[in-house]
Amino acid sequence: MVKVELLSSPGCQKCLLAQEDIRSLIASFGTDQVSLRDVNVLDELDYAVELGVLTLPAIAINGKLVFSTLPSVEMLRNELTKYF
Amino acid sequence: MLTISKIAALAGVSTDSLRYYEKEGLLAPSSKTDAGYRLYNADMVRRIHFIKDAQNCGFTLSEIRDLLTLRGRDSACCGDVRRLAIEKKLQLAARINTMQRMSSALDELVAKCTQGALPLDACPILAALDDGLGELH
Repeated sequence: MVKVELLSSPGCQKCLLAQEDIRSLIASFGTDQVSLRDVNVLDELDYAVELGVLTLPAIAINGKLVFSTLPSVEMLRNELTKYF
Repeated sequence: MLTISKIAALAGVSTDSLRYYEKEGLLAPSSKTDAGYRLYNADMVRRIHFIKDAQNCGFTLSEIRDLLTLRGRDSACCGDVRRLAIEKKLQLAARINTMQRMSSALDELVAKCTQGALPLDACPILAALDDGLGELH
């Protein structure tokens, strides 16, 4: 199971737009293969800092910051396929 | 119209700061006299206060320029500014963490030296720095 974490902040339009595409992509892998957890950086600031998040939205995979800026769907797909 | 010294006094900054803000693209004089002296509209004071307040929140001049650009962009919304503020908070938190680690490392160095009267070649702090601080982390 690959664990994807989407680190964002509520009210961030850029984050919301990113979520749509990313959710669709992750759903296409199947929930038994890839899980998605939403992380509100204001609620989990220490965790976000520990990951090294400095810009939003960011994506961590299996507890490691992989995308510090918004990736394209294709970039995320390529990254996720490395785990299978 | 106000001269640079008058607008600086009104805004509580130095004239050098205003010239630097101008160099960094944060503000510009409304016009210049025939002799080349800068002249500013009185409402420039608000912009200078904006810059100072943003600096007090940790924003760099480059980031403040982005904020000012964002403010003038029709397609931007409050959420964009909020995101920049949260990103700045993340950066500050990361710096605080780093500084706390540095402070802890200094605590350990200070604890190594209990006798201030030792000669320098026996100084435990210098010796620890010579040997590397890896063991402290």
